[in-house]
Amino acid sequence: MIRLENVAKVYDGGIVAVREIDMDVRRGEFVFLVGPSGSGKSTLIRMCLREEKATKGKIWVAGKEITKMTSWRVPYLRRTVGTVFQDFKLLPNKTVAENVAFALKVTGRPRSVVRSQVPQVLELVGLSAKADRYPRQLSGGEQQRVSLARAFVNRPPILLADEPTGNLDPATSVGIMRLLDRINRTGTTVMMATHDHAIVDAMRRRVVQLERGRVVRDQAGSGYESSADLVDL
Amino acid sequence: MSTVLYLIGEAFTNLRRNILVVTGAVLAVFVSLTLAFGALVFNELVRVNTLQWQEGEHIIIFLKDEGGPAAHRALLEEIQGFEEVRRAWYLDKAGAYREFQEMFSNQPALVETMTAAELPASIRVELDDISSYQEVQFRLVGHQLLRRLSVFSEGIERLLSLTQVLNSIGIGLVAVLGAAAVVLIANTIRMAIYARREEIAIMKLVGAGNWFIRVPFILEGATVGLLGGGLAVAAVYVSHQLLARVPTDILLRFQVQSDFLLQRGVLILTFGVIAGFLGSSLGLRRFLRV
Repeated sequence: MIRLENVAKVYDGGIVAVREIDMDVRRGEFVFLVGPSGSGKSTLIRMCLREEKATKGKIWVAGKEITKMTSWRVPYLRRTVGTVFQDFKLLPNKTVAENVAFALKVTGRPRSVVRSQVPQVLELVGLSAKADRYPRQLSGGEQQRVSLARAFVNRPPILLADEPTGNLDPATSVGIMRLLDRINRTGTTVMMATHDHAIVDAMRRRVVQLERGRVVRDQAGSGYESSADLVDL
Repeated sequence: MSTVLYLIGEAFTNLRRNILVVTGAVLAVFVSLTLAFGALVFNELVRVNTLQWQEGEHIIIFLKDEGGPAAHRALLEEIQGFEEVRRAWYLDKAGAYREFQEMFSNQPALVETMTAAELPASIRVELDDISSYQEVQFRLVGHQLLRRLSVFSEGIERLLSLTQVLNSIGIGLVAVLGAAAVVLIANTIRMAIYARREEIAIMKLVGAGNWFIRVPFILEGATVGLLGGGLAVAAVYVSHQLLARVPTDILLRFQVQSDFLLQRGVLILTFGVIAGFLGSSLGLRRFLRV
C-alpha cells in the first residue's frame, strides 16, 4: 500500500532529513514511526502526501508512484489518503459538520451523499451532538476526533497520522487511538508518527524506528523501545 | 451543480466575513474607475465641443431679424466677396432650429420649448487663413444686421492642440488607473488570501484542487470589481446629468450622447469584473503551488 525505495530527502542548505530508506507497508497494516525529534518521521509522512518531494528514490502510495507525479494530480492522491495532524488543521470558520463535509465536497460528491455520510461519521467519533459547533468551541480531543472524522469520511485506503496525540492528555489520547484502531480494523492502512511510548507499548503493532534519517529498527508487534528480537538492518 | 452552488456560496460567505477589507477594495476600485470613466467622458466632451470648429466654421455671424431673408442674402453675397473668405453659407431660422434639435436631441423638453422663430438666422464663414478673422470682424462691425459675431480662430488652434494633449492624457489616465484597479484588487485579494493561507494549506491537504480553492476567491474579486465599477458608472452618470443642467449656449455643451455613456459604462463594468478576475488570479498564484 505504501512503498519507499531508496528514498532520501535533502533540504536546501544540505540538511539531510531522510537517508536511503526502503520500506514496505502492506494493505491493512498499522505501523508506528518512532524516533527522536529530527529523525525524519514527519518528513517521511510529508513525502507520502507529496507535501515534500523526495530528493532521491521512489515512493508508491496506493499503487501510484508519486515522486514524479504532476502537480495537478496531487489533489487526487490526497483524496485517497486521510491525514491527521498534531495541530488538528481544522478550518476555523467552518462548523464540525462543515469541516467533515469539506473532504467530501472537494471530491465533488453530491449533496445527498454529504448529507448522509457526515452524520454517520460524526456518530462514529461521538460528536453528533456538536455538529454545529466551531473548532474553537471544542476541546483538543474533540478537535482531533473531528480531524479523524474528516480523514475517514472518504473511506480512504490509507490514513497518515503525524503525532495525532501530541497535544492531548493521556486519557484523551487513548480515545483517539481507539478510534484509529477501529478505522484500521475496517481495512484502512494506518501509518502514524509518534513520540508516545505508552501508546506504542500498549498497541503492540509494527514499529519502524528512525534515527538521523535512517531506519534503525523495523519490528512487528513491538513496543517503543527495541526488544530482543530486533530485526537486523 | 452542487459544487458550483457551494463555491458561489463560499465566495459570498467570504465577502460577508471580510466586509471591511471588501469595502476598502470596492472603494479603491470605485475611485480608480471613476477617474478612468471621467477621463473618457471628458475626452468625449472636448471632442463634441470642438467638432464643428474642426469642420471649418471659423466665424458665425448671428443676424437680426430686420430685413428678413432678402437682406440676409444680400449680406451673404457681400461676405462671399471678401477676399479672406473661402466659403460662406446662410443658415435660416428653420435650419438653425434643425441644428438646435440635433444638438439637443438628448433634451426633448428644451427642444419643445424652443421654436424656429426664436432662433436667429446666421451666416457661417470659413476663412482661407484663420489669422485673418480680425479683418472680417472689422468689416462687419456696426453692421445693422449684425446681432452677434462669434470667432473661433485662436481658440480653435489652442483647443485643437489642447484636445490632442487632453486625449493623450485621458488615454494615459485610463490605462494607468485601469492598471491601478487591477493592482488594488490583486493586493486586496492577496491580503485576504494571506490571512487565510493556513486555511488554503488545509484545503490542499484534504485534496482540494486548485480550481476548487481558486473559484471563490476569483468570484470575490469579480464581485469587488463589479461593485466598484457599478459605483463608478453611477457616480459619472449622476455627475454628467448635473453638469448637463448647467446653462450653456449653442457653442458649449456639457452633454454627451446617452449611447456613449451606456457603451462606455458597460465597458467600465466589464473592465471592473475582468480586473477583479485578473487581480484575484494573480494574488492566488503563489499560494497554490503544491
